[in-house]
Amino acid sequence: MSHRPMATDRSATGIPTGRLAVWWVLASEIVIFGGLLASYLMHRLGHPEWANATAVTNTWIGAFNTLVLLSSSFTAVLGHQAAEKGDGRQAARYLYMTMGGAATFILVKTYEWGHEIAAGYTITSNGFWSFYYTAAGLHALHVIAGAIIMGIVARDAARGRNLHRVELIGIYWHFVDVVWIFLFPLLYIAK
Amino acid sequence: MAASHHPNYKKIYLTLVILLAISVAGPFIGIKWVTIITAFGIAFVKANMVIQNFMHLKWERRIAKYVLAASGALLLLFYYGVAPDVQAHRGQHWVNDDALAATARGIPAPHGSEGGEAAHDEPSGGGSDGSPAAPAAAAAAAAESTAAPNAFNARAAFAANCSPCHGTGGRGDGVVAAALNPRPANFADPAFWRSRTDAVLIRTIQGGGAAVGKSASMPAWSSLLSEAQAADMVAYLKTLSH
Repeated sequence: MSHRPMATDRSATGIPTGRLAVWWVLASEIVIFGGLLASYLMHRLGHPEWANATAVTNTWIGAFNTLVLLSSSFTAVLGHQAAEKGDGRQAARYLYMTMGGAATFILVKTYEWGHEIAAGYTITSNGFWSFYYTAAGLHALHVIAGAIIMGIVARDAARGRNLHRVELIGIYWHFVDVVWIFLFPLLYIAK
Repeated sequence: MAASHHPNYKKIYLTLVILLAISVAGPFIGIKWVTIITAFGIAFVKANMVIQNFMHLKWERRIAKYVLAASGALLLLFYYGVAPDVQAHRGQHWVNDDALAATARGIPAPHGSEGGEAAHDEPSGGGSDGSPAAPAAAAAAAAESTAAPNAFNARAAFAANCSPCHGTGGRGDGVVAAALNPRPANFADPAFWRSRTDAVLIRTIQGGGAAVGKSASMPAWSSLLSEAQAADMVAYLKTLSH
């Protein structure tokens, strides 16, 4: 089993270089999504009439997609566990399952948005819908980007290469999950 | 190098799914604070579980936590340092008329008001106490005004523009009233009429609450109502007082 050495530890932090880089990426993501969501929250409190718009969003679709993302996080972390045992093939299988979750999420989103746009709710309808499409859209872009990177990592992992990257893409993926955990109550439950 | 830690992922995953089910079930109980707890309280619990166990932050070196916490702290500092100045609808010496007007426009009206928004709001408007009654009031008013079709119809204008906050009966109990502080005026309250002259009320309707030193949540209606129409409105409001 050719378990390649993980990236050299940084002497100053004791964290493998790749993982430290992922934490820095997430630090910047916190500002991007945090600013967007905080901004939404402030506007929502100032615009009681947005309650009419939030009543239109479909809680069941939102809940189903939350379940999909939670499940994909579960398979991603199982992939990480398999990679640490040196089982690249198993890790790749889990990553492919996670990508299946990403595809499901995007398909459901496409169906959901298609119906909402057909009903006349577009990004320019009012402030709520602008936030709705911007926040969920930026999140969906992260899902798509994550799934693509995951495909590259999984292909390598299946051949036993760069197994430490399975953990790195997992950390990013869990973050995307966490963002949705907050988007779900903000856009779907708080009517 | 950090030793590998792998908790029982299946147990964590099942807990997350159960928490999700609770957050979806919360609103069905119909108590507002329960919904807030089940929606946002559980979101924080779920996020924390994912961050600690799936992202392994629990076992990560402290420096990574500091990096993330610093990022969050800077966000809060810069965001909330600026946001109140640009996102609030009024401050000590200013009022954001556009934001207030947008709020007033977005409230469901019996007849289409601004562009497509009112049409969007209609399917969702039902169930709240103000909106179902509003079209009926407008229809009754329309029937009344057949004698003078072009006359200003204060009752219909009230149902369309004022009732979301002031309530269909003018008791200050509209759909939006709960979100406003101070509460919208109650025209059925004798104390309200004792403390105001007609001229002040006309000025309030035209210039908004801010024009008379009252709450700026009361928008200015001068673009919709002339002074004579505002006077008609005051006359109509008096009919609500008994």
